[in-house]
Amino acid sequence: MSTRFFDSTAVAAQLRRSPLFSSLSDATLLDMLSHFRRETWKHGRCVTGSESEQCFHVILSGRMKVGRINPETGRMVTLFLLDQGDAFDVISLLDGKPSPVTLDAKDDLELLSTPVEEARRWIEHHPEFNYGFLPYLGRQMHLLADIAGDLALHDTETRLARLILRYVDTDNSHHSLRLIHDLSHEALGEMIGSVRVVVNRQLQHWQREGIIISHRGKLVVQELDALLKKAMHHSHNAAKKPFSGKSKNHY
Amino acid sequence: MVDKNSCAALYPTHEQAEEAIRVLQKAAFDIKKVSIVGKGYHQKEHPVGFYNTGERVKFWGVQGAFWGNVWGLLFGAAMFWIPGLGPVVIAGPLVVSLVGALEGVVAVGGLSALGAALYSIGIPKNSIIRYETALKSDHYLIIVHGNQKEVERAHDVLAANKPTDVAIHLS
Repeated sequence: MSTRFFDSTAVAAQLRRSPLFSSLSDATLLDMLSHFRRETWKHGRCVTGSESEQCFHVILSGRMKVGRINPETGRMVTLFLLDQGDAFDVISLLDGKPSPVTLDAKDDLELLSTPVEEARRWIEHHPEFNYGFLPYLGRQMHLLADIAGDLALHDTETRLARLILRYVDTDNSHHSLRLIHDLSHEALGEMIGSVRVVVNRQLQHWQREGIIISHRGKLVVQELDALLKKAMHHSHNAAKKPFSGKSKNHY
Repeated sequence: MVDKNSCAALYPTHEQAEEAIRVLQKAAFDIKKVSIVGKGYHQKEHPVGFYNTGERVKFWGVQGAFWGNVWGLLFGAAMFWIPGLGPVVIAGPLVVSLVGALEGVVAVGGLSALGAALYSIGIPKNSIIRYETALKSDHYLIIVHGNQKEVERAHDVLAANKPTDVAIHLS
């Protein structure tokens, strides 16, 4: 079996930590690796889905923002913030069509890539891949449904609270955040369909209330229960008056 | 200006590295866009040096024939003593980036001059550490510079030539 990696066993072990690949045997994982190239993307590299050459990518390290952009206004909405063990573009893998998304490397990225057609052929021969792939796809669809629901049903404050709660590290007593802890206010705005000034104003307000701490550009939740109330309270209000005409939405 | 996209491959012997360059040449790659880095000598094999005889630079040492052939093919040649790595022999466009790093044009925290040169052409720190480790254990690093399509094609050509590692770096 051919391999193109300095330490394919280490790469396989790294992939095994991802739910997408955890059910695959060592032999299957190594066979899969022989179909992939290793790529790195420099922090800040930004390409459209069509420019990414119809490739299926798996992230080995770093964060990738996947979003949609309005070319006329330059406004962007972030659909996914992917990290180690995630894959993109799974929709193109399913239907074989280029995706109209924009890919933005938020760190130096290390990736595996293979042409979509080759990935599809490999999956045909290894249907066991679907044991991990289908639940992964389900989680991504749930996340998209959450984003759509938040945008349609909640005001900016609630959306921001819900976004932060989604990334709170519950294993950590300090309630630090995963993935989004060091993102700019503009990037956070893009994740909730808002803009930098609104996010900045809201975070300052919560900081004064002692709900969060922002230290050296890193966010930490100080009062988790208070943040939960923000998310629930506004959800409750929105449910009561869904079309009141007096939207609290700042954007 | 060196392209900021590249394909980098590691080979354990100078014979394999030279073969890889010839395979790229046969596959009609612009050989002026190919760089090679290697230590170029072994502890027990010195003396080592290089000198100018008219138009050609010649390498003096056990691997003289290899570096002579490589310098005949590639664009630019240099030999530097880099702390932590020792004498490093380079050919190709990377020479310009390394000179820039040595002159302080490129300064990247925690990286050697070679690391800074690699960083300046779009190779991230994690990969640089891997390449420097391999160079210390006498591997040869071949880098093909170019646009995305060129480096992807280079990857497929080099991958078929049994490197110990091959990767594409996009900026």
